[in-house]
Amino acid sequence: MTEKSTKEELVREGDIAADYLDEFLTIAGIEGDIVMDVEGDRAIVAIVDGELEQLVGKRGEVVAALQELSRLAVTSETGSRSRLTLDIGGYREKKRIELAEIGTKAANKANQTGEPVKLRAMNAYERKIVHDAIALVGAGSESEGEEPNRFIVVTPQV
Amino acid sequence: MLEDALEHLIRGIVDHPDDVVVRVRQNRTNRDSRGGGKFNRDMKLFEVTVNPEDLGRVIGRNGRTATALRTVMAALNAARSVRIDFLDANEQ
Repeated sequence: MTEKSTKEELVREGDIAADYLDEFLTIAGIEGDIVMDVEGDRAIVAIVDGELEQLVGKRGEVVAALQELSRLAVTSETGSRSRLTLDIGGYREKKRIELAEIGTKAANKANQTGEPVKLRAMNAYERKIVHDAIALVGAGSESEGEEPNRFIVVTPQV
Repeated sequence: MLEDALEHLIRGIVDHPDDVVVRVRQNRTNRDSRGGGKFNRDMKLFEVTVNPEDLGRVIGRNGRTATALRTVMAALNAARSVRIDFLDANEQ
């Protein structure tokens, strides 16, 4: 986390996590394919094409749990901390699209009315997605408040 | 099968994978001798033994890793509740 990982290291992270998850799926008797990618400074691993509802869980709790375990599996092999993202059955992707829409709408509203727009409290991962969507529209944004109630305020373009 | 999945998940995150032992205790209806709580007939109890050096690793900060393991096992075992006890090899 302190040093930037090279693309090669991120590919290796993905490989380790994919092996760990692939064997888990086999043992648990769950069908699914694993795809890997590198996006920016993160390895992305996704389980796709299966009956994956049980591995998503309420509000993605099983996705979060398996992501945590996959990161630990990577760390125990490489010795360095991993920030890899795990998606299962498109859960995170769907959520990412919803959050980006929240950001886009709020940015348009702020620009049209000339007034700041306050958004609901979000975690750091969610805020990052929303900040990016707002910047894309061309409005300003800042986070305010303390965790876990930190929220974004969207400011109109000047 | 469930215990094999749990064993795999744990072996992958510890320094001493060969010391990992997972046992299943199930359908116990008597009182839990240690915790004093009641066992549900349908509860599945996993007893996980790891090398003492790895105990902190499988429990994690604020029990985060233990919770993640429990969440995954509960997802695989939807019809029943799941409990995981962690022991270090010296406690056996």
